[in-house]
Amino acid sequence: MKNVKRKLLSHKLMMISSMIIFIMTLLALFPPFLAPNDPNLIDITHKLQGSSSKFPLGTDHLGRCILSRLIYGTRTSLGTAFLVMGLTMMISIPLGIYAGFRGGWVDYLFMRMCDILMAFPSLLLSLALIGILGPGLGNLILAMVLVHWVFYARVIRGMVLSVKEQNFILAAKVCGTPRLVIVIKHILPAIISQVVVLVFMDIGGVVLAISSFSFLGFGIQPPGAEWGMMINDSKPFFRNAPSLMLYPGMMILIVVVAFNLFGEALRDALDLRRE
Amino acid sequence: MGWFIVKRLTSLIPILFGISLITFILLHLTPGDPAIAYLRASHIPPTDEAVAALRVELGLDKPLYAQYVEWLGKAVQLDLGMSYLSKKSVWDEIMLHFFPTVQLTFASCILIVVISLPIGMISAIFKGKLVDQLSRIIAFVSVSMPAFWFGFLLIYFLSVKLDLFPVLGRGTFAHLVLPSLTLSFAYIGTYTRLLRASMLENLNEPFVMYARARGLRGRLIVSRHVLKKSLLPVLTGLGMSFGNMLSGVVIVETVFAWPGMGQLFVTSILNRDYPMIQGCLLFMGVIFVVCNLLVDIAYSFLDPRIRWEGEK
Amino acid sequence: MFLKKSQLVTSIVGLLVILTVFVAGCSNTTKDQENTSDKDKPKVLTFSWSGDIGDLNPHTYFPNQWFSQAMVYEPLVYYGEGGEIQPWLAESWDVSKDGKEYVFHLREDVKFSDGSPFNAAIVKKNFDTVLANAEQHEWMELINQIKSTEVVDESTFKLNLHKPYYPTLQELTYIRPLRFVGEGAFPDSQNTFEGLKSPIGTGPWVLSEYKENEEAIFTRNEQYWGTKPKVDKVVVKVIPDGESRVLAFEKKEIDLIFGNGVISQDSFQFLKDSGKYETKISEPTATRALLFNTNREAIKDIKLRSALQHAFNKQAVIDNIFYGNEKKADTLFAPMLPYTNISVNPYEYDVEKAKQLLDEAGWKQIKGKPFREKDGETLQLELLFISTDNIQKAIAEFIQGDFRKLGIDIKLTSQEEETFWTTAYQGDFDLLFTASWGVPFDPHSYLSAITKSSENGSPDYKALLGLPAKKEIDEKIKEVLLSTDEEKRKMLYEDILTTLHEQAVYLPISYQSNVAVYHKNISGINFLPQEYEVPFTSINVK
Repeated sequence: MKNVKRKLLSHKLMMISSMIIFIMTLLALFPPFLAPNDPNLIDITHKLQGSSSKFPLGTDHLGRCILSRLIYGTRTSLGTAFLVMGLTMMISIPLGIYAGFRGGWVDYLFMRMCDILMAFPSLLLSLALIGILGPGLGNLILAMVLVHWVFYARVIRGMVLSVKEQNFILAAKVCGTPRLVIVIKHILPAIISQVVVLVFMDIGGVVLAISSFSFLGFGIQPPGAEWGMMINDSKPFFRNAPSLMLYPGMMILIVVVAFNLFGEALRDALDLRRE
Repeated sequence: MGWFIVKRLTSLIPILFGISLITFILLHLTPGDPAIAYLRASHIPPTDEAVAALRVELGLDKPLYAQYVEWLGKAVQLDLGMSYLSKKSVWDEIMLHFFPTVQLTFASCILIVVISLPIGMISAIFKGKLVDQLSRIIAFVSVSMPAFWFGFLLIYFLSVKLDLFPVLGRGTFAHLVLPSLTLSFAYIGTYTRLLRASMLENLNEPFVMYARARGLRGRLIVSRHVLKKSLLPVLTGLGMSFGNMLSGVVIVETVFAWPGMGQLFVTSILNRDYPMIQGCLLFMGVIFVVCNLLVDIAYSFLDPRIRWEGEK
Repeated sequence: MFLKKSQLVTSIVGLLVILTVFVAGCSNTTKDQENTSDKDKPKVLTFSWSGDIGDLNPHTYFPNQWFSQAMVYEPLVYYGEGGEIQPWLAESWDVSKDGKEYVFHLREDVKFSDGSPFNAAIVKKNFDTVLANAEQHEWMELINQIKSTEVVDESTFKLNLHKPYYPTLQELTYIRPLRFVGEGAFPDSQNTFEGLKSPIGTGPWVLSEYKENEEAIFTRNEQYWGTKPKVDKVVVKVIPDGESRVLAFEKKEIDLIFGNGVISQDSFQFLKDSGKYETKISEPTATRALLFNTNREAIKDIKLRSALQHAFNKQAVIDNIFYGNEKKADTLFAPMLPYTNISVNPYEYDVEKAKQLLDEAGWKQIKGKPFREKDGETLQLELLFISTDNIQKAIAEFIQGDFRKLGIDIKLTSQEEETFWTTAYQGDFDLLFTASWGVPFDPHSYLSAITKSSENGSPDYKALLGLPAKKEIDEKIKEVLLSTDEEKRKMLYEDILTTLHEQAVYLPISYQSNVAVYHKNISGINFLPQEYEVPFTSINVK
């Protein structure tokens, strides 16, 4: 474990990315204390202003404080991303382990189902689900979870398969340890680090997907603040006030890069330990 | 060889069946009575008689499995119903929008090759040097870039400020550049790294050492042997990405007002045009599966090991 | 290292050269196309519209667009400046003393674009196919009043009415549905409502190329009987959103922006301020308003409706969203329209009064809660708007933010245009963006439509059902349309409009105008009396 920590810390990019993630988490957790203004307060007489002491990044087309909206948007984007990931894992981990550990026809059935669900491009399937459920943040989360769990469950099943035949599991089986105990005591700890890496490798992609949906108008509804939606809102003004579009896009880019770097560094570090 | 293809084709049948089943079920999850939705969309007052008559006409009074069989029978004959919105055949609309999307996707594939090839090569050759580090950063940014934002940046700087390209829509060859650049950008990073990794692997292979021992010049080795061998994973990957890109067009087409499948799909969702949503989903699912199949078959031509495995 | 550095540099440079040539090649192709406006080349005007022009059928509605229907099809009589009825396809007409018979003398030099003759028989055939689908056109009272149509001789056509209907001639000027297609356009079933074989009209333009959802090209009708257009071709490109339209305009991909709501007010102001282009704003055409759905429990209360009227900061919207380009509206119809100059007290912006009215209506502010409540229910109102309409969106978001300060929770629902209207007709909204229909429809056709219950009437019918006086209003509207006495008509209109105003069911916002933005080489942009007509005929390109 010490080794991991050392490796993590020595990684320069890792340091930067975890710093960014830390700051973003702060922004997401305490927007009321950090945002200078009410993100939804409309004052149309102050629309499209440049930066000032009251509005550090200026105002949008309705005179709302851009900085405050960016900060509240962090909560929406990160919160939604983690919620999607969390819910997905709650489905994928049990199902993946069950299919992998049980094997036989259960596994066969599971794999065929995966084949079919994964035959659709995931973005399209989520979109179609939203089309049927109707736009809105709740439906967006539901649609994303329903589509994404398949992929993770399949990966987790693969992890279980590779662990299953290892000696310590076989030994436990021979000793007559109940299956549930084997799963909880042996299999889960053996795969959990890989799952964590998987989550962090992909969370950036989830943030990206959520902002894309919001950009198309399928995510959070006004007056809520979300980066993708802010970009969509700023479309009419992007020549006279390009900064309106630049800031939220930069936020997305920074967060996603940070998560991707973090995920990759985490993977490298944990791989080292396995060796 | 023939055996392998036959085998892959048969494995396709249950998947296609599954796709159709999911598409069908999805649409039956829609809230409300489809007959009422249809009447409202056609501006006919949904009186009880009208609804009852339409339910019979649309076969909604039959049990679900019978409806499915009927629907599938029609779908196989390319009859996907009628769009609520345009009142035209769903299949005709899809055909109208499919070609622009294919065009965009092909252009993006070409861009991916044209851009990732040199960058990947250079960063493999100068492994660990500044160029390599730089390409790593570019790769990271490209994977993390929100496509809709990147599209606007391109429009703002290349089109509005520098006046290099037309802004939107479809028409001349120049119209294709910005959308395909946006679509391909996310993949460029991936393929640069992929090519670099596969080249590094091959550079250490015994055949390279042997070639060098025979006194072949470095450039010749790289261009004739290493590159050729390293391209294999890139090309197969591209085949897979082609299907993925077909779904990535949803955003790019919205940003650039490109009249393709993505736009058709988004519009039908926004208008709750259920037959169109269903048709698009089914069509794209089938295309996606077929793409992957073609990649598999192509790969088996290039790498006989897979074929042998399949024949065993 | 396998490559020598110098070799590498050469290959990189080579690659860059290739890329540059590639890029330059692309941009050159566009430049070349722009420079092709030589003298012998045809004069082309490029225009854009937010949606497809539809199947170009004058007897049907969506997805048909007003402007494109008006390019190809023509009326018997034309709505001129100031509402003057001018001869068009009919050279002259006689009205019987009882006002029930109209005889039209048709022009004899008119031919359809396929060369077939325009005569009384084809006029009758067109009227009859429209009348066969009368329920589709219920909003238009004339359709309901037509008893029979007659061919008197080759160039004389007679219309018999059930009752003397005073706006008959005015309604004949409408862009749809009483305009004429040629014999060759009729489908086998002879029912044009099912679609045309091809769009054959008498108008100055002929559809020559059509790519659905991409572009439509209209060519000048060389055998047109009237003043021939100055340009040879009009290209209509489909560009769904306003921002893309502005970008395309700035890049000279389109020559002209024309219409209402086709670009945002911000973009219009931006283009105007740049000084690089010509801009024009028309006289007010119609009234932009909010419609309250009196069927909803909360809105049923006139106190709440009045509170909303007083709570709305109209001036702020005019100044900041419209940049003063649209004028403030206090009544449903602009006072310069016929019969609409009524004397009523406008609802002034008065937050205190609004609060007081809300309290009186039982919606109380509760400590610690952001929104007012009544019997444990939160004051939430659903505002429906068209997602692609920038102006509606801006006003909607403004209302949401501004009403929040008063403790009113506005839920915004945005829908695509087609879905929006379906929802509107179903009455699934509290507040709805609407607009009066403009000349030549205001006020009589607009009022006529609000009395029609079917889905071909207007969403206002259902929305007003919660008014106690609804029945009475409808009766009066029906009466005024058939009244032959000018004084009585004046009185009835005043009565109807005053009741609607006092019931506070419409919240007039502004008088909307058409805007035109065009490059300096374009001339002849005049606003035509009918809001939806684009002056393609008079436009010239230098």
